[in-house]
Order: sequence, then C-alpha cells, then structure tokens
Amino acid sequence: MTARRSTPTRAVAWFLAPFAALLVVWAAVVAATGVPLRIFPQVTDVVAALVSMTASGELFVHVAASLRRVLIGSVLAIVTALPFGVALGASPRLSAFFAPLLRFSVALAGIAWIPIATLWLGYGDGAVIFIVWNAMFFALTYNTLLGVRRIPLPLLRAARSMGTGRVRMFWEILLPGALPSVVTGLRVGLGYGWRGLVAAEIIATSAGLGYALFLAQKTFSTDVIIASMVIIGVLWLVMDRLLLAPLERRTVQRWGMTAARP
Amino acid sequence: MDAVRALQIENLHKTYVDAYSGDEVVAIGDVSFDVAEGEFVSVLGPSGCGKTTVLNIVAGFVEQTSGSVTVAGKPVSGPGPDRGVVFQNHALFPWKTVQGNVTFGLRMRGVAKAEREATAAEYLRLVGLTGFEQRYPHELSGGMQQRLGVARVLANEPAVMLMDEPFASIDAQTRRRLQEDLTRIFQEQRPTVFFVTHDVDEAVFLSDRVVVLSGRPSSVHEIVTVDLPRPRDWRTTGELPQFRALRNRITDLLAGDESHAVADPA
Amino acid sequence: MTGLARRLGRSGAVRTLGPFVPVVALWWLLAQLQVFPPAFFVGPDAVLAELGGLLERGILPGYLSDSLTRLWYGVLFGLGIGLPLGFLVGMSPVARRLTWPLLLFFQAVADIAWLPIVIVWFGFSLTAVTFVIVYTIVFPLVLSIVAGIEQVPPELVRAARSMGAGRIQVFTEVIVPGSLPSVASGVRTGLGYGWRALVAAEIIVGTSGIGFMMFDARRVGDVAEVFLGMIVLGILWYALDALLLAPFEHATVERWGLVRQSAAT
Repeated sequence: MTARRSTPTRAVAWFLAPFAALLVVWAAVVAATGVPLRIFPQVTDVVAALVSMTASGELFVHVAASLRRVLIGSVLAIVTALPFGVALGASPRLSAFFAPLLRFSVALAGIAWIPIATLWLGYGDGAVIFIVWNAMFFALTYNTLLGVRRIPLPLLRAARSMGTGRVRMFWEILLPGALPSVVTGLRVGLGYGWRGLVAAEIIATSAGLGYALFLAQKTFSTDVIIASMVIIGVLWLVMDRLLLAPLERRTVQRWGMTAARP
Repeated sequence: MDAVRALQIENLHKTYVDAYSGDEVVAIGDVSFDVAEGEFVSVLGPSGCGKTTVLNIVAGFVEQTSGSVTVAGKPVSGPGPDRGVVFQNHALFPWKTVQGNVTFGLRMRGVAKAEREATAAEYLRLVGLTGFEQRYPHELSGGMQQRLGVARVLANEPAVMLMDEPFASIDAQTRRRLQEDLTRIFQEQRPTVFFVTHDVDEAVFLSDRVVVLSGRPSSVHEIVTVDLPRPRDWRTTGELPQFRALRNRITDLLAGDESHAVADPA
Repeated sequence: MTGLARRLGRSGAVRTLGPFVPVVALWWLLAQLQVFPPAFFVGPDAVLAELGGLLERGILPGYLSDSLTRLWYGVLFGLGIGLPLGFLVGMSPVARRLTWPLLLFFQAVADIAWLPIVIVWFGFSLTAVTFVIVYTIVFPLVLSIVAGIEQVPPELVRAARSMGAGRIQVFTEVIVPGSLPSVASGVRTGLGYGWRALVAAEIIVGTSGIGFMMFDARRVGDVAEVFLGMIVLGILWYALDALLLAPFEHATVERWGLVRQSAAT
C-alpha cells in the first residue's frame, strides 16, 4: 500500500525473504549447537531427504496417494453437501430442526470418526476417504444452510415473481446467493479434511504423506519427517492459493459480496 | 474585522501519488481562509474538489504538501483534542454506551469521574439524548447517532469543531430537524465550527460565511458572507428573500465550475 | 396446554435438544431392526449400558479428566502465546511483513503433522500433546487477530485520536474491542482444531484419554464404547461452546451490534 507500484517480483521477494531468514537461522542454530540428526536435522539433511525421496519415486507415490484421497473425499462432500444444505436452508422448518444437529456434528466431524471409520471400512483407502468426506460434509452442509437462510427475502421474491422454477431457483438464486457462506464452509471443511487426512494416514494406511511421517518417526529419521511436513505445508498453500482463492476472487469478490474468512 | 482567529489556513497545497497509475495528482491547489472564534464557516464545492481533504488536513489525519494550518495560534501536527471531528458515518464506538461515547474525550484527558458525568449529562441534554445513557449506538436511529456524534465532540470543548458532511447519510426529513438542532446548539454554545458540505441550502442555512471552492485543483473561488438573522429555522429563514438570493448566487458560482468537476470524479 | 407447548418451544433448551429426540429414536429403531450388523452398529441402550459400566469402574471419569487437563494446558498456553503475538504482529507493519508468509506456512503445515517429530522430541508425554494443541490454537488465532485489526474502521481510530487518545489508549479503547469479533471467531476456530488435534494425539500417542479409549475399544471391536466416546466428545464440545464461547460472544460482539464473522466452526 505504501510501496509505490509494487511489482510482482518485489512481492515474491518479500514473501520469500522471511523463509530465507528462517533457513539461515535454522542452519546456524543446528551448526552452533550440534544437535544430533535423530533430534533435529540440518537444512542440508532435509534437502538431501527431499532429493532422495524424489529420486526414488517415493515422494510421488505418497503425494499422489494423499491428493487422490483429498480429491475423491472433497468431490464426494461437495456433491452430497451442497444439495442437502440448500434443500435444508430453503425450508425454515427443516433448517430450524437440522441446525443444532449439524452444529453438533461439525464439532465432531473428522478425526473423532477415525475409530469407527476403521471399524466399518477396515484399514485402508476407504476409511481415509470417509474421514475426508466426513470432515468436509458437515461444515459444508451447515454453512450452505446458513448461506441460503441469509439470502435477502426480496431477492427470493424477485426471482419468484419472474417465474423461476424449482431447478432454476437452485442454480440461479440459492446456490450463488449462498456462495459467500459456501466458500467459508469449503475453507473450514477442507482445513478439517486435510488434518483428518494426515491423522487417518498416520493411523490407518500404508501410503500417503501421513504414513511417510509415521514410518520416519519409527526410525527417528527427522530429516524425512521435516521434509514431509514441508511438503504437507506447501501442498496446502498450493490448494489454498490455486483453488480456493481464485474461486473466491472470481465469484464472491467479483460480485461485491464478502466471504467471512475464518 | 479582526476578531480572534480560531482557525487559520494559509496557502494550503496538497498533492499525492496515485496508488495505481503512479501519477501525481493535485488534490488542493491553493486554499487560504480563516475562521473567527465562535464563527460558523461552511466549505462548499463540487464533488471531488478536495473539501474533505482540507478538513482531514485541519484534523491532522493527512499531512499537507505545503502551506500552514494554525489553530488558536498553534500550528497543527497530528490529530488532537483541540479539533474535534464529527464524521459523515458517525464513527461512534459500537462497544461503548451513549454515556461511554460522550465521556470518551474527557476520560482520555484524565477528567475526574464526577465532572465527566456532569458534563456528559449537560451535553446529552443539549442534543436531546437524556435517558439514553445506557443504550448502545446500534440501538439508536441514524439521527440520534449523529446527535451523539456532535455531543461527543462538544463535551470535549475543542477550539474548533470539524464536521465532515455530517448529515449526508441521513434521510431528508431528519436532516432538516438535525440542521435546526445544530443551529440552536450553535446559538446556545457558540462553538467555532468548520463545516464541510455539498448541499447549498444546508451551507446557507447554518453558516455565518460560506467558502466556495472551485473544482480541481481547488482554490477559494469566493467567500460569501451570510448575514441572515439568528435564531434560524427552516420555516422562516427558508422563506427569506435574502436566503434565496444567497442560495441562487452560490449555486451559480458552483455551476460555473461544473465542467471542471465532472471531468474528474473522485 | 398449547400455551405450555409454545412456551416450551420457545425455550432455548428445547429448541436445541428437541431435534436430538427423533434422531435418537431413529438410531434406536435402526439398531432394533438390525439394519446394520450388530458388530458394527449398536443402539442407544447398549451405549447407555456401556456408560454405566465405564462409570462404575471409574475409567470414563479418569480418561475424561486426562483429556480435559491436556486441553486446558493447551488452551492456556495457546491463548497466552497467541493473543500477545497476534496483536504484536497486527499492530506493527514491519513485524507483519516479516512474519506473514511464515504464519501462512506454519498454519498450512497441519498441526497433526507435527505429532511425529514432537514424539521424537518429547516422547509419549503430556508435553507432546500440549505442544500440538498449542500449535493448533496459536496460528488461527494470530491470523484472525491480524485480520480483525485490519477490519477496525480507520475512522474510529481517527475519532479517538481527535478526542485526545494516545497510542496506548487507541490500542486499548479502539483496536482491542474493535478486533474482538474476529478474535472470538479465531478462538473458536483454534479450539475446534485443538479439539481435533487432542483426539488425534490421544489415538496416536495412546496412553489415556477419550481418544485413546475410543481407539482401544476399536481394537477389541467394542462398538458401544466407540459410540460412547464420540457422544462424550460431542457433548463436551457443546458444553464448552454453550458455557464459555457463546456467552462471551453474547456479552460483547452481539451486545454491541457487531456482526459475528462466521458462526460455523
């Protein structure tokens, strides 16, 4: 704001500078204290771990497994939660009835379901996908319901007085009207889903980033642990910047509505 | 006339760099005028002429590029309690009650509680908000909110009260009432008022003098003295031929500038 | 009679708890009809019996207090670190510029992912679990506070300054209350994440606590105990929300007529 015409390169530099500083401090502290690798790795150890994980193809396997589960889980959640949320929100009675139930479920969603999910579906892909779906479903349904309830009445009346049918009502009015809230739900839900994924992978599978963490912990390979954590962080930032942020920019912000950011 | 000058503005000039284009924009060309103690002066101009910028500089929110502003003989630097501001959208503290808002300035200056309460009661009575002490701003109507905004500033006894289009966001009926209230309060208390508006009727009705600014880059087009008798109210003052003459004259002055103003919306 | 019904309908408890009655009935019916195999799905009667047994043996109260102790330490340190840090970062443009990318990144590294390294450092201990909960609470809180400070209308700061408020007074009188809606929602989000992290940590670290109880029950195939664990977790969260978070928001944000940012976490 105060900077005159901040160029993209400048912004990137400002974004990366703190990370560079962090790496320098990290390297210096580890070098000065000489902590053993089994407690804390040196920066170069982590880089080496990343390189060898990439070279062996191991990294790709884990990332692909995790992303596949997130993708399937969130697509399932969107497909199920949006129509359900809109249907509930469109009726004052149903929404009054379901809102407390949903709030209760949102509080429970995700990780607390791991024991029952593994009991029902066994250890493996099914349980993990279930956790991701579950973590997102309730947050998304609840926020969609709230979003529909918040559409101004005159807007609904205007649409009805122009002869909008039920199906069109869903696509043209209810869904876009609820979108600020839906985006919030997506953000919250994906946050829970991502955490649920990592936890479920630690507990219940034999592939994925959470599993990589779990394996490395057993052998005290802190370099692999930190490398996996970095990958998890980067993947989340990429999902947030490349999927959620553009969605928000193109819809909610473009239309001059604001999304409540958690 | 050489009355005590509460506010003196000399050769005020302001340029800023546009955040997007990087171009230098002249917001205020050259503005000079002064306000005597106990005088009501309005600043009027086409939209985008920089009248609010003048107020923001006087308030100390924005720094001028060159020129000087002195209040009660002292040059202005930064905001201070000697220049109370009434904002267009009230800027009341939502987390403070009516009482909390009115006593805010006094509390900041370390005035004792008993005295704060006495002063608050006096100014709330003045603006007709007695009995609403424990309400929160969101529970008041728009007109009441702005009366609270005025009381909050007056209770702080500033050298100048700065008002930035205070009634612009209020419906027409209420606005007239608030204008009458303000002129009555002015009559009773005789504060020094610097009032920014784009409403010609409002400026003429309230003021002792009206400073008419030209379009961008703004300078003082003319200072019109309003010698209408006080007390004023819409029913009688509004019917006076002098009122109409002044209003028409100022409207003509502004119309002469319209071509500049439209070309550069702010 | 209808008057009574209406009065009941208007009371908060009935409106909140009412919807659970048909759900429990449906649950009972599904179990009775054995729609799902009993090894996977038990009815409320079995869960109640389980509750009785666990209470009698003193297991549930013990685990519950373990979980709550961990959460309490986590929240205490989380708020103790997050609140000052948030306001520091929010108030200083320099600190903000320097830490913002790091904050985003550390928020992105899901808290649960810290568990393995934390176990390496601290072993299977209270410290390990507390560390993860603190981590979970701090980052959303800091991010919310910074966003909240940004949302304080500049005019309010100007108004305070033009009435003689100094820097510290602007902070205590304007910035803190003005950012409170966002702070409250940050605490809510943080607690929501912290709660989940606690359960995950208890499952993975596995020595005691409600999360451990559930996973232990899953290992021996005791569905009723798993169900019970989930219900206990849900009720606890509800109580936390109804007894602490909601009254706080009611007394501040709602009283002042400020909109609550997001009611959904």
